[in-house]
Amino acid sequence: MHLVVQACILGVLTGGVYALMASGLTLVFGVMRVINVAQGALVILSAYLSWALFTHFQVDPFLSVLIVAPLIFALGVGVQLVFIRSLRSEQAEELSLLITWALALGIEGVLGAVYETTYRATNTSYANSAWTIFGYQVSVVRAYAFGLCVAVLVLLYLLLARTRFGRSVRATVQNPSSALLLGVNADRVRALAFGIGVSTAAAAGAVYGVLYPFNPGSHYDLISRLLSIVVLGGLGSVAGAVAAALMMGVVEAVVAVEISPVWSSFSYFVVLVAILLLRPQGFFGARERTL
Amino acid sequence: MLLRFDSVVAGYGRGDILRGLDLDVPEQAVTCLVGPNGAGKSTALKTLSGLLKPRAGRILFEGDDIAGLSPARVLARGIVHVPQERSLFPLMTVWDNVLMGGHSMRDRGAVRRRAEALAERFPIVRERRNDRAGELSGGQQKVVEIARALMLRPKLILFDEPTMGLEPKTRHLIFETVARLHADGHTVLLVEQNARAGLAAADHGAVLDGGRVAIAGRGADLLADPRLGELYLGGSGPTANGSGGMNSPA
Repeated sequence: MHLVVQACILGVLTGGVYALMASGLTLVFGVMRVINVAQGALVILSAYLSWALFTHFQVDPFLSVLIVAPLIFALGVGVQLVFIRSLRSEQAEELSLLITWALALGIEGVLGAVYETTYRATNTSYANSAWTIFGYQVSVVRAYAFGLCVAVLVLLYLLLARTRFGRSVRATVQNPSSALLLGVNADRVRALAFGIGVSTAAAAGAVYGVLYPFNPGSHYDLISRLLSIVVLGGLGSVAGAVAAALMMGVVEAVVAVEISPVWSSFSYFVVLVAILLLRPQGFFGARERTL
Repeated sequence: MLLRFDSVVAGYGRGDILRGLDLDVPEQAVTCLVGPNGAGKSTALKTLSGLLKPRAGRILFEGDDIAGLSPARVLARGIVHVPQERSLFPLMTVWDNVLMGGHSMRDRGAVRRRAEALAERFPIVRERRNDRAGELSGGQQKVVEIARALMLRPKLILFDEPTMGLEPKTRHLIFETVARLHADGHTVLLVEQNARAGLAAADHGAVLDGGRVAIAGRGADLLADPRLGELYLGGSGPTANGSGGMNSPA
Protein backbone atom coordinates (compact mmCIF):
# COMPACT_ATOMS: atom_id res chain seq x y z
CA MET A 1 0.00 0.00 0.00
CA HIS A 2 2.84 2.33 0.89
CA LEU A 3 4.31 1.79 -2.57
CA VAL A 4 0.99 2.52 -4.27
CA VAL A 5 0.55 5.79 -2.35
CA GLN A 6 4.14 6.70 -3.19
CA ALA A 7 3.38 5.97 -6.85
CA CYS A 8 0.25 8.10 -6.71
CA ILE A 9 2.24 11.03 -5.34
CA LEU A 10 4.76 10.64 -8.14
CA GLY A 11 1.96 10.26 -10.68
CA VAL A 12 0.16 13.42 -9.58
CA LEU A 13 3.40 15.43 -9.65
CA THR A 14 4.26 14.13 -13.14
CA GLY A 15 0.68 14.55 -14.35
CA GLY A 16 0.74 18.20 -13.33
CA VAL A 17 3.58 18.87 -15.78
CA TYR A 18 1.73 17.15 -18.60
CA ALA A 19 -1.42 19.03 -17.63
CA LEU A 20 0.34 22.30 -18.27
CA MET A 21 1.59 21.21 -21.70
CA ALA A 22 -1.78 19.79 -22.69
CA SER A 23 -3.81 22.77 -21.43
CA GLY A 24 -2.10 25.01 -23.99
CA LEU A 25 -2.74 22.49 -26.73
CA THR A 26 -6.42 22.17 -25.91
CA LEU A 27 -6.83 25.93 -25.50
CA VAL A 28 -5.51 26.49 -29.01
CA PHE A 29 -7.76 23.77 -30.38
CA GLY A 30 -10.79 25.20 -28.59
CA VAL A 31 -10.27 28.74 -29.83
CA MET A 32 -9.27 28.13 -33.43
CA ARG A 33 -9.70 24.43 -34.21
CA VAL A 34 -5.95 24.19 -34.74
CA ILE A 35 -4.26 20.96 -33.70
CA ASN A 36 -0.87 22.30 -32.80
CA VAL A 37 1.35 19.23 -33.22
CA ALA A 38 4.35 21.52 -32.67
CA GLN A 39 3.45 21.79 -28.98
CA GLY A 40 5.87 18.97 -28.11
CA ALA A 41 8.66 20.55 -30.16
CA LEU A 42 8.03 23.89 -28.47
CA VAL A 43 8.37 22.18 -25.09
CA ILE A 44 11.72 20.78 -26.18
CA LEU A 45 12.81 24.14 -27.65
CA SER A 46 11.95 25.75 -24.30
CA ALA A 47 13.84 23.03 -22.47
CA TYR A 48 16.92 23.85 -24.57
CA LEU A 49 16.55 27.60 -23.97
CA SER A 50 16.18 27.03 -20.25
CA TRP A 51 19.14 24.62 -20.28
CA ALA A 52 21.25 27.19 -22.14
CA LEU A 53 20.35 29.95 -19.68
CA PHE A 54 21.23 27.66 -16.79
CA THR A 55 24.48 26.38 -18.32
CA HIS A 56 25.84 29.68 -19.63
CA PHE A 57 24.31 32.27 -17.25
CA GLN A 58 23.43 30.17 -14.18
CA VAL A 59 19.79 31.20 -14.38
CA ASP A 60 17.67 28.82 -12.32
CA PRO A 61 15.41 26.83 -14.68
CA PHE A 62 12.29 27.80 -12.74
CA LEU A 63 13.19 31.49 -13.03
CA SER A 64 14.13 31.06 -16.68
CA VAL A 65 10.40 30.71 -17.40
CA LEU A 66 10.19 34.48 -17.04
CA ILE A 67 12.54 34.85 -20.01
CA VAL A 68 11.59 31.83 -22.13
CA ALA A 69 7.80 32.21 -21.92
CA PRO A 70 7.70 35.70 -23.50
CA LEU A 71 10.02 34.52 -26.30
CA ILE A 72 7.82 31.51 -27.08
CA PHE A 73 4.72 33.69 -26.78
CA ALA A 74 6.14 36.05 -29.41
CA LEU A 75 7.07 33.08 -31.63
CA GLY A 76 3.55 31.69 -31.29
CA VAL A 77 1.86 34.99 -32.13
CA GLY A 78 4.18 35.34 -35.14
CA VAL A 79 3.42 31.84 -36.40
CA GLN A 80 -0.30 32.40 -35.98
CA LEU A 81 -0.26 35.73 -37.81
CA VAL A 82 1.99 34.59 -40.65
CA PHE A 83 0.90 31.00 -41.28
CA ILE A 84 -2.37 30.14 -39.57
CA ARG A 85 -4.52 33.27 -39.74
CA SER A 86 -4.89 33.11 -43.48
CA LEU A 87 -6.27 29.55 -43.47
CA ARG A 88 -9.87 29.32 -44.56
CA SER A 89 -11.98 28.14 -41.66
CA GLU A 90 -13.25 25.02 -43.41
CA GLN A 91 -9.66 23.89 -44.06
CA ALA A 92 -8.11 25.14 -40.86
CA GLU A 93 -8.02 21.83 -39.00
CA GLU A 94 -6.36 19.87 -41.80
CA LEU A 95 -3.93 22.52 -43.04
CA SER A 96 -2.95 23.64 -39.55
CA LEU A 97 -1.82 20.07 -38.89
CA LEU A 98 0.59 20.34 -41.81
CA ILE A 99 1.77 23.80 -40.83
CA THR A 100 2.40 22.96 -37.20
CA TRP A 101 4.02 19.65 -38.16
CA ALA A 102 6.36 21.58 -40.44
CA LEU A 103 7.08 23.93 -37.54
CA ALA A 104 7.88 20.93 -35.32
CA LEU A 105 10.27 19.49 -37.88
CA GLY A 106 11.84 22.92 -38.39
CA ILE A 107 12.45 23.31 -34.66
CA GLU A 108 13.87 19.79 -34.49
CA GLY A 109 16.15 20.54 -37.43
CA VAL A 110 17.48 23.78 -35.97
CA LEU A 111 18.04 22.19 -32.55
CA GLY A 112 19.75 19.22 -34.21
CA ALA A 113 22.07 21.54 -36.14
CA VAL A 114 22.98 23.56 -33.04
CA TYR A 115 23.07 20.89 -30.32
CA GLU A 116 23.28 17.65 -32.33
CA THR A 117 21.46 14.63 -30.96
CA THR A 118 23.26 14.45 -27.62
CA TYR A 119 20.92 14.13 -24.66
CA ARG A 120 20.96 17.11 -22.31
CA ALA A 121 19.54 17.63 -18.84
CA THR A 122 19.32 20.69 -16.60
CA ASN A 123 21.09 19.46 -13.50
CA THR A 124 20.40 21.84 -10.63
CA SER A 125 21.98 21.59 -7.19
CA TYR A 126 18.67 20.37 -5.79
CA ALA A 127 18.06 17.84 -8.56
CA ASN A 128 18.43 14.84 -6.27
CA SER A 129 16.98 16.33 -3.09
CA ALA A 130 13.81 14.97 -1.56
CA TRP A 131 11.51 15.75 1.34
CA THR A 132 10.07 13.06 3.56
CA ILE A 133 6.44 13.80 4.36
CA PHE A 134 4.52 11.32 6.52
CA GLY A 135 7.01 8.68 5.48
CA TYR A 136 6.68 9.36 1.77
CA GLN A 137 9.47 10.66 -0.41
CA VAL A 138 8.66 13.77 -2.41
CA SER A 139 11.25 14.88 -4.93
CA VAL A 140 12.04 18.59 -4.48
CA VAL A 141 12.38 19.16 -8.21
CA ARG A 142 9.08 17.45 -8.96
CA ALA A 143 7.37 19.37 -6.18
CA TYR A 144 8.71 22.67 -7.55
CA ALA A 145 7.70 21.62 -11.05
CA PHE A 146 4.22 20.73 -9.87
CA GLY A 147 3.94 24.02 -8.00
CA LEU A 148 4.98 25.99 -11.06
CA CYS A 149 2.49 24.12 -13.22
CA VAL A 150 -0.32 24.71 -10.73
CA ALA A 151 0.57 28.40 -10.54
CA VAL A 152 0.53 28.76 -14.34
CA LEU A 153 -2.73 26.83 -14.62
CA VAL A 154 -4.33 29.05 -11.95
CA LEU A 155 -3.16 32.12 -13.85
CA LEU A 156 -4.57 30.65 -17.05
CA TYR A 157 -7.87 29.97 -15.29
CA LEU A 158 -8.07 33.50 -13.88
CA LEU A 159 -7.23 34.93 -17.28
CA LEU A 160 -9.99 32.95 -18.97
CA ALA A 161 -12.62 33.24 -16.24
CA ARG A 162 -12.17 36.69 -14.78
CA THR A 163 -10.93 39.03 -17.48
CA ARG A 164 -12.52 40.77 -20.44
CA PHE A 165 -10.01 39.06 -22.71
CA GLY A 166 -10.87 35.69 -21.20
CA ARG A 167 -14.56 36.30 -21.78
CA SER A 168 -13.84 37.14 -25.40
CA VAL A 169 -11.81 33.92 -25.73
CA ARG A 170 -14.67 31.85 -24.28
CA ALA A 171 -17.14 33.64 -26.50
CA THR A 172 -15.04 32.91 -29.58
CA VAL A 173 -14.85 29.25 -28.60
CA GLN A 174 -18.58 28.88 -27.97
CA ASN A 175 -20.00 30.92 -30.82
CA PRO A 176 -17.43 32.54 -33.16
CA SER A 177 -19.84 34.40 -35.43
CA SER A 178 -21.83 35.76 -32.49
CA ALA A 179 -18.61 36.96 -30.84
CA LEU A 180 -17.71 38.71 -34.09
CA LEU A 181 -21.07 40.47 -34.17
CA LEU A 182 -20.52 41.75 -30.62
CA GLY A 183 -17.29 43.44 -31.62
CA VAL A 184 -14.80 40.79 -30.53
CA ASN A 185 -11.66 41.13 -32.62
CA ALA A 186 -11.42 37.45 -33.53
CA ASP A 187 -8.02 37.80 -35.23
CA ARG A 188 -6.53 39.39 -32.13
CA VAL A 189 -8.13 36.83 -29.81
CA ARG A 190 -6.86 33.95 -31.91
CA ALA A 191 -3.31 35.31 -32.15
CA LEU A 192 -3.10 35.98 -28.42
CA ALA A 193 -4.71 32.66 -27.52
CA PHE A 194 -2.20 30.84 -29.74
CA GLY A 195 0.62 32.75 -28.06
CA ILE A 196 -0.72 31.92 -24.60
CA GLY A 197 -1.25 28.29 -25.58
CA VAL A 198 2.34 27.83 -26.70
CA SER A 199 3.62 29.82 -23.69
CA THR A 200 2.40 26.99 -21.49
CA ALA A 201 4.83 24.86 -23.48
CA ALA A 202 7.58 27.28 -22.46
CA ALA A 203 6.80 26.93 -18.76
CA ALA A 204 6.47 23.18 -19.09
CA GLY A 205 9.69 22.99 -21.15
CA ALA A 206 11.79 24.55 -18.40
CA VAL A 207 10.35 21.95 -16.02
CA TYR A 208 10.75 19.11 -18.49
CA GLY A 209 14.46 19.79 -18.85
CA VAL A 210 14.90 19.44 -15.11
CA LEU A 211 12.92 16.20 -14.87
CA TYR A 212 14.00 14.31 -17.99
CA PRO A 213 16.96 14.14 -20.35
CA PHE A 214 16.04 15.40 -23.78
CA ASN A 215 17.33 15.73 -27.32
CA PRO A 216 15.82 17.34 -30.45
CA GLY A 217 13.80 14.22 -31.25
CA SER A 218 12.14 14.01 -27.82
CA HIS A 219 9.05 15.79 -29.08
CA TYR A 220 7.69 12.71 -30.90
CA ASP A 221 6.94 10.88 -27.68
CA LEU A 222 5.67 14.06 -26.06
CA ILE A 223 3.15 15.01 -28.72
CA SER A 224 1.62 11.54 -28.85
CA ARG A 225 1.03 11.72 -25.09
CA LEU A 226 -0.27 15.27 -25.25
CA LEU A 227 -2.73 14.48 -28.02
CA SER A 228 -4.04 11.46 -26.12
CA ILE A 229 -4.48 13.61 -23.00
CA VAL A 230 -6.37 16.26 -24.93
CA VAL A 231 -8.64 13.65 -26.53
CA LEU A 232 -9.32 11.95 -23.19
CA GLY A 233 -10.03 15.26 -21.48
CA GLY A 234 -12.39 16.33 -24.24
CA LEU A 235 -11.22 18.42 -27.16
CA GLY A 236 -11.11 22.09 -26.20
CA SER A 237 -11.58 21.57 -22.46
CA VAL A 238 -8.75 22.86 -20.27
CA ALA A 239 -10.26 21.26 -17.15
CA GLY A 240 -10.53 17.98 -19.04
CA ALA A 241 -6.88 18.14 -20.07
CA VAL A 242 -5.82 18.65 -16.45
CA ALA A 243 -7.93 15.71 -15.25
CA ALA A 244 -6.69 13.43 -18.05
CA ALA A 245 -3.05 14.35 -17.44
CA LEU A 246 -3.33 13.62 -13.73
CA MET A 247 -5.01 10.32 -14.49
CA MET A 248 -2.26 9.42 -16.94
CA GLY A 249 0.43 10.20 -14.40
CA VAL A 250 -1.21 8.13 -11.68
CA VAL A 251 -2.06 5.13 -13.90
CA GLU A 252 1.44 4.94 -15.31
CA ALA A 253 3.13 5.28 -11.93
CA VAL A 254 0.90 2.72 -10.22
CA VAL A 255 1.28 0.17 -13.03
CA ALA A 256 5.05 0.74 -12.98
CA VAL A 257 5.33 -0.24 -9.30
CA GLU A 258 2.57 -2.84 -9.16
CA ILE A 259 3.12 -4.67 -12.46
CA SER A 260 6.14 -3.52 -14.43
CA PRO A 261 7.57 -0.25 -15.81
CA VAL A 262 7.49 -1.97 -19.21
CA TRP A 263 3.68 -1.79 -19.20
CA SER A 264 3.25 1.66 -17.67
CA SER A 265 2.88 3.69 -20.90
CA PHE A 266 0.80 0.98 -22.55
CA SER A 267 -1.52 0.82 -19.55
CA TYR A 268 -2.49 4.46 -19.96
CA PHE A 269 -3.48 3.88 -23.56
CA VAL A 270 -5.58 0.86 -22.52
CA VAL A 271 -7.43 3.09 -20.04
CA LEU A 272 -7.72 5.78 -22.72
CA VAL A 273 -9.35 3.44 -25.22
CA ALA A 274 -11.66 1.96 -22.58
CA ILE A 275 -12.90 5.38 -21.47
CA LEU A 276 -13.36 6.60 -25.03
CA LEU A 277 -15.44 3.53 -25.84
CA LEU A 278 -17.79 4.51 -23.01
CA ARG A 279 -17.55 8.27 -23.48
CA PRO A 280 -16.33 9.18 -26.98
CA GLN A 281 -16.30 12.90 -26.23
CA GLY A 282 -13.82 12.44 -23.35
CA PHE A 283 -14.16 13.56 -19.72
CA PHE A 284 -15.41 17.11 -20.12
CA GLY A 285 -15.86 17.21 -23.83
CA ALA A 286 -19.25 17.98 -25.20
CA ARG A 287 -20.33 17.39 -28.74
CA GLU A 288 -19.75 21.10 -29.04
CA ARG A 289 -16.82 23.29 -28.08
CA THR A 290 -16.17 23.83 -24.43
CA LEU A 291 -13.75 25.78 -22.34
CA MET B 1 -33.47 58.13 -44.12
CA LEU B 2 -31.31 56.27 -41.63
CA LEU B 3 -30.16 53.49 -43.93
CA ARG B 4 -30.08 53.01 -47.68
CA PHE B 5 -29.01 49.98 -49.72
CA ASP B 6 -27.92 51.30 -53.10
CA SER B 7 -27.59 48.65 -55.85
CA VAL B 8 -25.94 46.18 -53.46
CA VAL B 9 -24.64 42.92 -54.92
CA ALA B 10 -23.52 40.17 -52.54
CA GLY B 11 -23.43 36.42 -52.31
CA TYR B 12 -21.50 33.29 -51.47
CA GLY B 13 -18.97 31.50 -53.62
CA ARG B 14 -19.56 32.33 -57.25
CA GLY B 15 -23.28 33.00 -56.93
CA ASP B 16 -24.95 36.31 -56.19
CA ILE B 17 -27.85 36.33 -53.75
CA LEU B 18 -28.41 40.08 -53.69
CA ARG B 19 -28.59 41.31 -57.28
CA GLY B 20 -28.72 45.07 -57.02
CA LEU B 21 -30.70 45.56 -53.83
CA ASP B 22 -32.18 49.04 -53.35
CA LEU B 23 -33.89 49.57 -50.01
CA ASP B 24 -34.60 52.49 -47.69
CA VAL B 25 -34.97 52.11 -43.94
CA PRO B 26 -36.51 55.14 -42.21
CA GLU B 27 -35.53 56.21 -38.72
CA GLN B 28 -37.55 55.27 -35.61
CA ALA B 29 -39.67 52.80 -37.52
CA VAL B 30 -39.93 49.05 -37.92
CA THR B 31 -39.16 47.88 -41.45
CA CYS B 32 -39.87 44.27 -42.29
CA LEU B 33 -38.27 42.27 -45.08
CA VAL B 34 -40.27 39.31 -46.29
CA GLY B 35 -39.91 37.02 -49.24
CA PRO B 36 -39.55 33.41 -50.26
CA ASN B 37 -36.59 31.30 -49.23
CA GLY B 38 -33.42 32.37 -51.05
CA ALA B 39 -34.76 35.85 -51.78
CA GLY B 40 -31.81 37.42 -49.95
CA LYS B 41 -33.39 38.59 -46.69
CA SER B 42 -30.75 37.19 -44.33
CA THR B 43 -28.00 37.95 -46.85
CA ALA B 44 -29.03 41.61 -46.75
CA LEU B 45 -28.60 41.70 -42.97
CA LYS B 46 -25.27 39.86 -43.09
CA THR B 47 -23.98 42.25 -45.73
CA LEU B 48 -25.09 45.20 -43.65
CA SER B 49 -23.51 43.95 -40.41
CA GLY B 50 -20.18 43.14 -42.05
CA LEU B 51 -20.37 39.34 -41.94
CA LEU B 52 -20.44 39.33 -45.74
CA LYS B 53 -18.55 41.72 -48.00
CA PRO B 54 -20.66 43.24 -50.76
CA ARG B 55 -19.37 42.81 -54.31
CA ALA B 56 -20.83 46.05 -55.53
CA GLY B 57 -23.03 48.90 -54.42
CA ARG B 58 -23.17 51.17 -51.41
CA ILE B 59 -24.73 50.89 -47.97
CA LEU B 60 -25.37 54.37 -46.65
CA PHE B 61 -25.90 54.72 -42.91
CA GLU B 62 -26.50 58.25 -41.68
CA GLY B 63 -25.14 59.34 -45.03
CA ASP B 64 -21.82 57.46 -44.79
CA ASP B 65 -20.94 54.46 -46.94
CA ILE B 66 -20.37 51.56 -44.53
CA ALA B 67 -20.26 48.78 -47.15
CA GLY B 68 -17.46 46.33 -46.42
CA LEU B 69 -16.69 47.53 -42.90
CA SER B 70 -15.81 44.84 -40.34
CA PRO B 71 -18.54 43.74 -37.90
CA ALA B 72 -16.75 45.57 -35.08
CA ARG B 73 -16.74 48.84 -37.03
CA VAL B 74 -20.37 48.41 -38.07
CA LEU B 75 -21.23 47.82 -34.41
CA ALA B 76 -19.31 50.95 -33.47
CA ARG B 77 -21.54 52.89 -35.88
CA GLY B 78 -24.55 51.81 -33.83
CA ILE B 79 -25.87 48.81 -35.76
CA VAL B 80 -26.44 45.59 -33.86
CA HIS B 81 -27.37 42.28 -35.47
CA VAL B 82 -29.39 39.56 -33.72
CA PRO B 83 -28.82 36.59 -36.03
CA GLN B 84 -31.26 33.89 -37.05
CA GLU B 85 -29.60 31.01 -35.22
CA ARG B 86 -29.23 30.94 -31.45
CA SER B 87 -26.44 33.34 -30.71
CA LEU B 88 -25.95 33.18 -26.95
CA PHE B 89 -22.80 31.63 -25.53
CA PRO B 90 -24.34 28.48 -24.07
CA LEU B 91 -21.77 27.75 -21.37
CA MET B 92 -21.62 31.32 -20.08
CA THR B 93 -24.11 32.62 -17.56
CA VAL B 94 -27.00 34.78 -18.69
CA TRP B 95 -25.31 37.71 -16.97
CA ASP B 96 -21.99 37.19 -18.75
CA ASN B 97 -23.86 36.96 -22.03
CA VAL B 98 -25.48 40.32 -21.41
CA LEU B 99 -22.13 41.81 -20.39
CA MET B 100 -20.69 40.56 -23.67
CA GLY B 101 -23.12 42.92 -25.38
CA GLY B 102 -21.02 45.75 -23.96
CA HIS B 103 -17.73 44.16 -24.97
CA SER B 104 -16.65 47.17 -27.01
CA MET B 105 -17.29 49.60 -24.11
CA ARG B 106 -14.16 50.52 -22.15
CA ASP B 107 -15.89 51.74 -18.98
CA ARG B 108 -16.59 48.52 -17.06
CA GLY B 109 -18.74 50.35 -14.53
CA ALA B 110 -20.93 51.72 -17.30
CA VAL B 111 -21.25 48.20 -18.75
CA ARG B 112 -22.53 46.87 -15.43
CA ARG B 113 -24.92 49.78 -14.89
CA ARG B 114 -26.34 49.29 -18.36
CA ALA B 115 -26.72 45.56 -17.79
CA GLU B 116 -28.51 46.19 -14.48
CA ALA B 117 -30.91 48.57 -16.23
CA LEU B 118 -31.64 45.95 -18.88
CA ALA B 119 -32.16 43.32 -16.19
CA GLU B 120 -34.94 45.51 -14.82
CA ARG B 121 -36.47 45.84 -18.26
CA PHE B 122 -36.15 42.15 -19.14
CA PRO B 123 -36.98 40.18 -15.96
CA ILE B 124 -35.65 36.90 -17.38
CA VAL B 125 -32.14 38.38 -17.20
CA ARG B 126 -32.58 39.10 -13.49
CA GLU B 127 -34.33 35.82 -12.68
CA ARG B 128 -31.89 33.53 -14.53
CA ARG B 129 -28.83 35.71 -14.07
CA ASN B 130 -26.50 32.97 -12.81
CA ASP B 131 -27.84 30.14 -14.97
CA ARG B 132 -26.02 28.97 -18.04
CA ALA B 133 -27.60 30.48 -21.13
CA GLY B 134 -27.79 27.07 -22.78
CA GLU B 135 -30.24 25.96 -20.07
CA LEU B 136 -32.87 28.54 -21.11
CA SER B 137 -35.76 27.75 -23.45
CA GLY B 138 -35.57 28.98 -27.03
CA GLY B 139 -37.88 31.92 -26.33
CA GLN B 140 -36.01 32.91 -23.16
CA GLN B 141 -32.75 32.80 -25.08
CA LYS B 142 -34.18 35.08 -27.73
CA VAL B 143 -35.26 37.61 -25.09
CA VAL B 144 -31.76 37.55 -23.56
CA GLU B 145 -30.32 38.06 -27.06
CA ILE B 146 -32.51 41.13 -27.44
CA ALA B 147 -31.43 42.46 -24.02
CA ARG B 148 -27.81 41.90 -25.00
CA ALA B 149 -28.36 43.69 -28.29
CA LEU B 150 -29.53 46.79 -26.42
CA MET B 151 -26.36 47.08 -24.32
CA LEU B 152 -24.80 49.61 -26.68
CA ARG B 153 -27.98 51.66 -27.16
CA PRO B 154 -27.94 50.91 -30.88
CA LYS B 155 -29.32 53.25 -33.52
CA LEU B 156 -30.45 50.33 -35.65
CA ILE B 157 -31.35 46.80 -34.57
CA LEU B 158 -31.34 43.98 -37.11
CA PHE B 159 -33.51 40.98 -36.28
CA ASP B 160 -33.15 37.93 -38.49
CA GLU B 161 -36.21 35.73 -38.13
CA PRO B 162 -36.47 36.16 -34.35
CA THR B 163 -39.53 33.92 -34.06
CA MET B 164 -38.17 30.99 -36.03
CA GLY B 165 -38.72 27.70 -34.22
CA LEU B 166 -40.63 29.28 -31.33
CA GLU B 167 -44.06 28.26 -30.09
CA PRO B 168 -47.00 30.65 -30.73
CA LYS B 169 -47.06 32.14 -27.23
CA THR B 170 -43.34 32.91 -27.38
CA ARG B 171 -43.64 34.32 -30.91
CA HIS B 172 -46.25 36.69 -29.55
CA LEU B 173 -43.84 37.73 -26.78
CA ILE B 174 -41.11 38.47 -29.32
CA PHE B 175 -43.40 40.61 -31.46
CA GLU B 176 -44.51 42.44 -28.30
CA THR B 177 -40.86 43.12 -27.52
CA VAL B 178 -40.30 44.48 -31.03
CA ALA B 179 -43.35 46.71 -30.56
CA ARG B 180 -41.90 47.99 -27.27
CA LEU B 181 -38.60 48.76 -28.97
CA HIS B 182 -40.53 50.67 -31.62
CA ALA B 183 -42.46 52.57 -28.97
CA ASP B 184 -39.16 53.49 -27.30
CA GLY B 185 -38.00 55.07 -30.55
CA HIS B 186 -35.64 52.38 -31.81
CA THR B 187 -35.19 51.72 -35.50
CA VAL B 188 -35.68 48.07 -36.36
CA LEU B 189 -34.99 46.15 -39.55
CA LEU B 190 -36.78 42.86 -39.21
CA VAL B 191 -36.48 39.81 -41.43
CA GLU B 192 -39.46 37.54 -40.98
CA GLN B 193 -40.49 34.33 -42.68
CA ASN B 194 -43.93 34.72 -41.16
CA ALA B 195 -44.90 37.51 -43.56
CA ARG B 196 -48.31 38.28 -42.13
CA ALA B 197 -47.07 38.67 -38.56
CA GLY B 198 -43.96 40.56 -39.64
CA LEU B 199 -45.77 43.08 -41.84
CA ALA B 200 -48.49 43.53 -39.24
CA ALA B 201 -45.81 44.53 -36.72
CA ALA B 202 -44.02 46.86 -39.14
CA ASP B 203 -44.51 50.43 -40.30
CA HIS B 204 -42.84 49.66 -43.60
CA GLY B 205 -42.20 46.52 -45.53
CA ALA B 206 -40.41 45.23 -48.57
CA VAL B 207 -40.90 41.96 -50.38
CA LEU B 208 -37.66 40.57 -51.73
CA ASP B 209 -37.54 38.27 -54.69
CA GLY B 210 -34.42 37.14 -56.51
CA GLY B 211 -32.17 39.48 -54.53
CA ARG B 212 -34.12 42.63 -55.34
CA VAL B 213 -37.07 44.48 -53.85
CA ALA B 214 -40.18 43.36 -55.72
CA ILE B 215 -42.69 45.44 -53.77
CA ALA B 216 -42.26 48.03 -51.03
CA GLY B 217 -44.62 50.19 -49.05
CA ARG B 218 -46.42 50.51 -45.75
CA GLY B 219 -46.77 47.24 -43.91
CA ALA B 220 -50.55 47.37 -43.84
CA ASP B 221 -50.71 48.18 -47.56
CA LEU B 222 -48.45 45.25 -48.44
CA LEU B 223 -50.67 42.88 -46.50
CA ALA B 224 -53.54 43.88 -48.77
CA ASP B 225 -51.51 43.75 -51.96
CA PRO B 226 -52.41 40.71 -54.11
CA ARG B 227 -48.89 40.61 -55.53
CA LEU B 228 -47.61 39.51 -52.10
CA GLY B 229 -49.46 36.23 -52.35
CA GLU B 230 -48.35 35.77 -55.95
CA LEU B 231 -44.71 36.12 -54.96
CA TYR B 232 -45.10 33.60 -52.18
CA LEU B 233 -47.50 31.08 -53.60
CA GLY B 234 -47.68 31.75 -57.28
CA GLY B 235 -50.99 33.58 -57.18
CA SER B 236 -52.83 32.21 -54.16
CA GLY B 237 -53.72 35.66 -52.93
CA PRO B 238 -52.56 37.82 -50.06
CA THR B 239 -54.56 36.08 -47.35
CA ALA B 240 -53.26 32.63 -48.08
CA ASN B 241 -51.93 30.61 -45.21
CA GLY B 242 -49.52 27.74 -45.45
CA SER B 243 -46.06 26.62 -46.23
CA GLY B 244 -45.09 29.56 -48.37
CA GLY B 245 -44.56 31.73 -45.34
CA MET B 246 -47.88 33.59 -45.18
CA ASN B 247 -48.63 32.07 -41.80
CA SER B 248 -51.04 33.61 -39.37
CA PRO B 249 -49.53 35.67 -36.63
CA ALA B 250 -49.17 34.15 -33.25
